[in-house]
Amino acid sequence: MLDVGRHPNLELLAYSEVEKVEGEAGNFKVTVRRKTRYVEEDRCTGCGACAEKCPTAVPDAFNEGLGARSAIYSYFAQGIPSTHTIDPDHCRQLNGKKCGICAKTCQAEAINFEQEDRIIELNVGAIIIAAGYDIFDPSLIPEYRYREIANVVTAIEFERLLSASGPTEGHMDRPSDRAVLAEIAALEKKAKKSQKALDKLEKKFDEPSAAFYGKYQAGEYEGDEDRKKWADKYASHLKIVEPLEELKKKAKRFTVAKRLAFIQCVGSRDFRFYPFCSGYCCMHSIKEAVIAQEHAPETTSTIFGMDIRAIGKGFEEYKIRGGNNSNITYVRGRIAEITEGPNNNPVVTYENTRERKVESREFDMVVLATACAPTKGIGTLAKTVGVELDKYNFIKTSSLSPVDTTTPGIFVCGCAESPMDVPESVAQASSAAQRAAEIAFQSELEKEKAVA
Amino acid sequence: MSKDILVIGGGIAGMQSSLDLADMGIKVHLVEKLPSIGGKMAQLDKTFPTNDCAI
Repeated sequence: MLDVGRHPNLELLAYSEVEKVEGEAGNFKVTVRRKTRYVEEDRCTGCGACAEKCPTAVPDAFNEGLGARSAIYSYFAQGIPSTHTIDPDHCRQLNGKKCGICAKTCQAEAINFEQEDRIIELNVGAIIIAAGYDIFDPSLIPEYRYREIANVVTAIEFERLLSASGPTEGHMDRPSDRAVLAEIAALEKKAKKSQKALDKLEKKFDEPSAAFYGKYQAGEYEGDEDRKKWADKYASHLKIVEPLEELKKKAKRFTVAKRLAFIQCVGSRDFRFYPFCSGYCCMHSIKEAVIAQEHAPETTSTIFGMDIRAIGKGFEEYKIRGGNNSNITYVRGRIAEITEGPNNNPVVTYENTRERKVESREFDMVVLATACAPTKGIGTLAKTVGVELDKYNFIKTSSLSPVDTTTPGIFVCGCAESPMDVPESVAQASSAAQRAAEIAFQSELEKEKAVA
Repeated sequence: MSKDILVIGGGIAGMQSSLDLADMGIKVHLVEKLPSIGGKMAQLDKTFPTNDCAI
């Protein structure tokens, strides 16, 4: 990633979109919109002082909404380029409120609220589409109750929970528990504020609030307006403190997730959604189960699937090793439904096809191995660039020329072409690069011919 | 005729093809929609089957 940022032959146009493509192989005219970051790229040093001071908290897309970032942000800590960006939907200043704290904080004077989108024109010989994929939205499958049950998460969300740089710093804290902890933090803030107001009154009347409240309720201060206000304040304070104590008691019992269930083929190999196999999800689940067990050795994982497709170099061995060393059990069967049991524990009901039995089991967390869906913008992009899509909305190719699109001079690689894992993406990317290079060198030869 | 190449998308596939081309001495323009490159792979903690770090 770092090499991409500093290769002399590589112009990185991040936060940009292709708007128009004209011409043909060897001579495409491309219009690119460079979206405004409201931050001068050549000035921003990526120090992050602005993000620390920014008062607005926004769910962090990189962490799948499990954490928060500020309205001025770098997409992720090691992101290239490290230039910060202002989110125009959430920035106070850009939405007409008085703020501008980031501009005051920035020592490099990089913030520019007046900055506008820039349009640039490129002349290229060939185009490679590597637009990637989207994660299938499992809330489309009602029986899995994703979003209804907090502890049912997607594989990529679980990945962020496992990551040391993620929102939980690699601890497998359950989303339901994290929600309670967030509520405790909010209530504590409120309680602190109301305690401050009570402290003032206690000083004024020289009496602790609790003792006074007892007397007040006994009717001692009838008709005393000042004391009535004090009593009201104390009553509302109790309304904050009492649930806070309850939640704190509950939070004491919280542990990290130790019993994990992985559900395969969520959206893929499913005729309601995508009939194809997404290919990487079986291995992804096994890997997540292996890493989870590395984090906490007592963790057990159950992987539910029709079959485990470990097709690739070293994959089958990895699957067996997971079963032998990482407490992974593979269960053949499909899930009927997930319900919520006591303690926010998801309960999985499934048919165990080996035992020929319908069973129910409680877990701490359920991870959905979501399908590789075509990316949402692919229709517009295909139209802009001028290539055809296949029936699932991946870029159309043929089996004998797997990186050539329907238009000469335009190539495709990675999950924009079809679902594939990292090594396959890399291999296909090199292949597409080679095909594009043929055109580049052809145009060079023709230039030389013209000169000769 | 132009020798430059445009790559759309800065995930693992886009980065790999860009670097391959740039190493061949070809000028590459890499367009990424998001503020940083890396794509989905940057979100992964480790990769199978070697458990190598993704970033």
